[in-house]
Amino acid sequence: MIEYKNVLTTCPYCGTGCALHLQVLDEKLVGVLPAKNHVVSEGGLCIKGWNAHAFVNHADRLTKPLVRRNGKLEEATWDEALTLVAQKLGEVKTQSGPDSVAILTSAKCTNEENYLLQKFARAVIGTNNIDHCARL
Amino acid sequence: MYEPKIIGFLCNWCSYRGADTAGMARMKYPPNVKIIRVPCSGRISPELVLRTFREGADGVMVLGCHIGDCHYSTGNHRTAKRMPVLKKLLEYSGIESERLYINWVSAAEGEKFATVIKDFTEQISALPPFVETMK
Amino acid sequence: MSDRLSSLRETIEKILPDVDGVIALRTGPGGIVAPYLFSKEHPGELAELALWPKEPVPDTLKIILRAHPDAKLAIVCRGCEERGIVEMFKHAQFSLENVTLIGLQCDQQEVESCQCFKPFTVHAKLTVGQPVEGVRDPLMAKVMAMSQPEKLAFWKEEFSHCIKCYGCRNICPQCFCNICALEDEKWVETGRLPMPNPSMYHMVRAMHMTAKCVGCHECEETCPADIPMAVQFRLIARDVKEMFNYEPGAVMDQKPPQLLVLEEGEYENTGLPH
Repeated sequence: MIEYKNVLTTCPYCGTGCALHLQVLDEKLVGVLPAKNHVVSEGGLCIKGWNAHAFVNHADRLTKPLVRRNGKLEEATWDEALTLVAQKLGEVKTQSGPDSVAILTSAKCTNEENYLLQKFARAVIGTNNIDHCARL
Repeated sequence: MYEPKIIGFLCNWCSYRGADTAGMARMKYPPNVKIIRVPCSGRISPELVLRTFREGADGVMVLGCHIGDCHYSTGNHRTAKRMPVLKKLLEYSGIESERLYINWVSAAEGEKFATVIKDFTEQISALPPFVETMK
Repeated sequence: MSDRLSSLRETIEKILPDVDGVIALRTGPGGIVAPYLFSKEHPGELAELALWPKEPVPDTLKIILRAHPDAKLAIVCRGCEERGIVEMFKHAQFSLENVTLIGLQCDQQEVESCQCFKPFTVHAKLTVGQPVEGVRDPLMAKVMAMSQPEKLAFWKEEFSHCIKCYGCRNICPQCFCNICALEDEKWVETGRLPMPNPSMYHMVRAMHMTAKCVGCHECEETCPADIPMAVQFRLIARDVKEMFNYEPGAVMDQKPPQLLVLEEGEYENTGLPH
C-alpha cells in the first residue's frame, strides 16, 4: 500500500512562522510544499523554508552524541554524554562561578524549549548569560 | 562616441574559417569584435549569451554554418531554434534585441564575414553602452 | 457541498477500488488544503476532499511514480495540471500507462482568479464539471504595450524584489532537472541581493521554460515578492506557437521542438537571415 500525505507544520528557521507542508511518502520525508491558504505565509516560503526537509535525513546529521576521548570523537549513549556535560558544567560553575557559563540557544528550538533554556541558565546555573542566534 | 565591445562566437568549421578567409584576403573590418572559437554554434547556450552581456559586452554575435552544412549535421538547428527565442526574451525584458546577432557564414564567405562585422559594429555603436542601460 | 465537489467525490469513489490510490486535495487542520493520496483502505477520508486552492499535483504524481513506477494511480487534475502532467510525460519523467486522469473543469470564479487561458482538460477520459472559456491575461497586453525602456524599468523594479527563494523553480512542474543551471555559480552568482541586472536567474529560467511552461501560475502564486514572471513565459509561448507550432500539453504525441531538428518550413518562421 502506498501512502502519501502532507503534514502541516511551521517553518523551524525564524520567527515569522510561515506554514509549510512536509511531504511524506511511505513514512519518509521527501519534500516541502508551501501552504497556500495559510494566513501567515499565503503560499510563500523563503529558501530556508523550501529546504526545511533537507537536514532531516541528511547523511551528515548527527543522530548519536559524540564524546571526545583521547583526542578522538567517539559515539556515546545519551546518558553518558549528558552526565559528562552536567559534570563539566558543575565543575566550571564551582571553580569559576556561574557567570563563567554562557548559553546560546537557537531559533530552531520551540518557544517552550527556549523558555526552558533560560530557566536552566537562570535557575540552575545562576547566570544571565543567555542569548539567541537570531537576535537581530 | 564609445568603442563598443562585441563578442563573436564563431563555429570552428565554417565561420571561423570564414574569418580566416577574410584575413587572408586582407579585408578591412572594425576591430571591435573579439572572436571566440567554438566547436559548433549549437554549443552557444542562452546562458553563455546572457553571461556575456552581464560581463559587459555591448553586443553578441553567433555565427555558424549555413543550415544543412553543419559539420555535425544538425548542430546549427539548435542555434536556429534557440536564438530567435532568446532574441524575443531580450525584447520582452526591455533589452534591445539587436544586441544579439545570428547569421550563417561559410568558410568561403570572407567578404560576407567582413560585411557582417562592419554592419553589426555600426548597429551596436548606435546603441548606448549596455552597462549604462543596466544601471 | 457544491455540485462539483459531490460529483468529484462520486467519480473518485467509483474508481477507488480499481486503483492503488487517487491523488486529490484534502482539507487538513485549520482548513489548510494539501495534495493527498486517497486509498481504498480509508474511503472515509473522502469526506475531507477539497477543490481549491489548486496545488502542484503533477509534482505529487512524479514523487509517487518515482518510488512506485508500477503503481496504478488516478489523479484529479485541472486543465493546467493536465498539461503539466502531459509535458512531464513527454520529457520522460514517468509513464502514463497506469495513470487515470480525472479532469476537473475550473469554474468562472477560479478562471478569473488565475487569469487562465485554457481552464479545461482535453485528454482526461473522466471529467467533472462544465468547461468554461479561458480569459486573456491583461498583463501580457500591458507589457507588450510598453516601450523598450519602460519594459526594462518594469522588470528591473519587479526583479529587484526577488529574494532568490528558488520557490518558482521548486514549485514548477516543468523544473525537474537533476542538475539545475540556476544553482551553477557560472550563471547565477551567490550572495548578491538584489540581483544585478540583467537578472540571470529570471532570464535563464525564462529560456528554460520555452515550450515547457503550461501556464499554471504556480510560480507567481508562490512568489513571496509577487513577481509576475510567468508573463514572460506566456509571451514566449506565443512565439513558440508561431515559430514551431507547438503548444505545451495540447497534443499527447507531438514532440517538443527542443527535442527535434528543424522541420520543413520552420526556419522561415524564425526570422533569421537566409
